[in-house]
Amino acid sequence: MKKIKDERLILQNLKNIRIAYIIQTLGILGILGYDLVTKGLDVMTENPLWIVFMVTVVVSAFLSMNVSVDHENQEKSSKNGLVLSLLIIIFISIVVGTLTSLSEGYSIINGVIIGGVLLICGLLPVTYVYYLRTKQQSENADE
Amino acid sequence: MNNHVKIARVQVDLTQKQLADKVGVTRQTISLIEKGNYNPSLKLCLEICYAVNKTLDEVFWIERESGHHEKNKR
Repeated sequence: MKKIKDERLILQNLKNIRIAYIIQTLGILGILGYDLVTKGLDVMTENPLWIVFMVTVVVSAFLSMNVSVDHENQEKSSKNGLVLSLLIIIFISIVVGTLTSLSEGYSIINGVIIGGVLLICGLLPVTYVYYLRTKQQSENADE
Repeated sequence: MNNHVKIARVQVDLTQKQLADKVGVTRQTISLIEKGNYNPSLKLCLEICYAVNKTLDEVFWIERESGHHEKNKR
């Protein structure tokens, strides 16, 4: 098979892939929804399709940050945004961590672990958005 | 979108297929561009202009007024 060089066909191909992706997502949602209704949440999350779905959602969320950073107004400083988001993440992880360690059946170690996991998971998108914003600002500065 | 690709192509004595091979697309794409049903990228426009020995402006420029008339007709 030859590699397609025609720009119109490349675009058409992307559109076709998008349609296939939509159908696939609907199928996954249908299967997971069926599991959820008939067997409950625990069985649904054990299904490997659930992991596939979550990974896809996370990847598409990260990729769409590329778009939203370009779309938002550039006036606000990216430093302020970073500091604000960091404060919120730290606050949330501390609150959840303390609440967990105070709950019955959970030790302080559990609270520390859950808080730490939340912190790390929150840090990733925040630093990524910060990186995109600074990159975009330095590109704007070149003009 | 109207353009003068067809006229320019006939002037240099090329068929749709020959022009398509020169600029590296399929014949169907050239046909759609001539009919105004596909909006080519600037890169492809330039390739077409090189192939028919004309400038962008000669092949693709349309006056704004005539564009409006076209719209009104439809």
